[in-house]
Amino acid sequence: MITCGAFRSRLQPGSQDAEVLEHLRNCDACLDHALRVDPDNFFRAIGGEEMEPPGGVDAFASGVMDQIRMRQTEGSVARRFLIAPRRLAAAAGIVVAIGMLFVASQTSFKSVPPPRAAAVQPAQLATKPVVETYDSKDATIVEVPADGKNDPQVVMIFDESLPADL
Amino acid sequence: MAAELRLMIPTKESVEPDDRQLVQTIRNGEPEAFETLVRRKTSKVYSLCYRIIGNAEDAKDISQLVFIKLWENLGKYDPAYAFDTWLYRMVTNVAIDFMRNKQSRENAVNSNLRLVKTVTDAEQAVIVQRKEIENVFNAVSSVLSPKQKTIFVMREMDDLPSAEIARILGCRESTVRNHLFNARKLMQQQLKKRFPEYSRLWKERT
Repeated sequence: MITCGAFRSRLQPGSQDAEVLEHLRNCDACLDHALRVDPDNFFRAIGGEEMEPPGGVDAFASGVMDQIRMRQTEGSVARRFLIAPRRLAAAAGIVVAIGMLFVASQTSFKSVPPPRAAAVQPAQLATKPVVETYDSKDATIVEVPADGKNDPQVVMIFDESLPADL
Repeated sequence: MAAELRLMIPTKESVEPDDRQLVQTIRNGEPEAFETLVRRKTSKVYSLCYRIIGNAEDAKDISQLVFIKLWENLGKYDPAYAFDTWLYRMVTNVAIDFMRNKQSRENAVNSNLRLVKTVTDAEQAVIVQRKEIENVFNAVSSVLSPKQKTIFVMREMDDLPSAEIARILGCRESTVRNHLFNARKLMQQQLKKRFPEYSRLWKERT
């Protein structure tokens, strides 16, 4: 390190002289003088020095290497699990996806309510009056001859004045 | 005579490979050489991180992260460029990212770091203590953007030339000078406001 006298004679505002900066950063006696010459030396005075991380360089380097080894191990384990069975996993994924799609489609099909059969109401059967005798001047009555003795007798009546539902 | 000659011949142990050779050795499949690189660069990386971040524990964590990123990206290093420039770029990227996240969390806290001193205090003779300068720097630099602070630290504390800082940050030299000018101006304003006893030292620069 240069002497205080040399420092004071060589110090200029904005100096980038390495020896001058080294003195600035190490000599407390010259600090006030340096600030009077150039106030920017205020923050320059705390620079330059190389610091060590807490715990020292050895512990730091070991920590970094441990982290790297751990990541490498994680990476190789991950690769072992991923690379070889990758196709199998992809196939399994596709099967699962298809299965889920199938289940989803079934669920959606079932969820559609079936058309309500109840909407079709059974016709109300009404008992029609049995005509035992009929007599009219306007009617045309045709008796259908029965095949056997036990067959019912069918009589067809054509009469404009009869109700439609008879 | 023979003994003297033997001493002058460099032995394998005495010849330290430079950074590029070390990187090549690691790429050639000797990962243990990376530990040598880490040991060689720890102080540089940690010092820069500490000055940008201003906190020993955070600086240590960020430095570790830088070396892990370095390991992961070593294949991308182009030996045509200086290794330190590439390494510093990694440091500044990680540190700036960290600062951006931290700033958004702690803006309010930093503003209360120190109370303004009285005028009487300001008129007293200034006895400058290095530790106090470090505290003042940590307080007033909190108003700088992460990039401004990084540039200020590299220029004023690591003594890197503006051209080298521009190469590290991948910007123009004029941009570096602009950031530096603005950083000085902002810090001067902060000194006046929060540390009037020191602000008298800081002359106006045009």
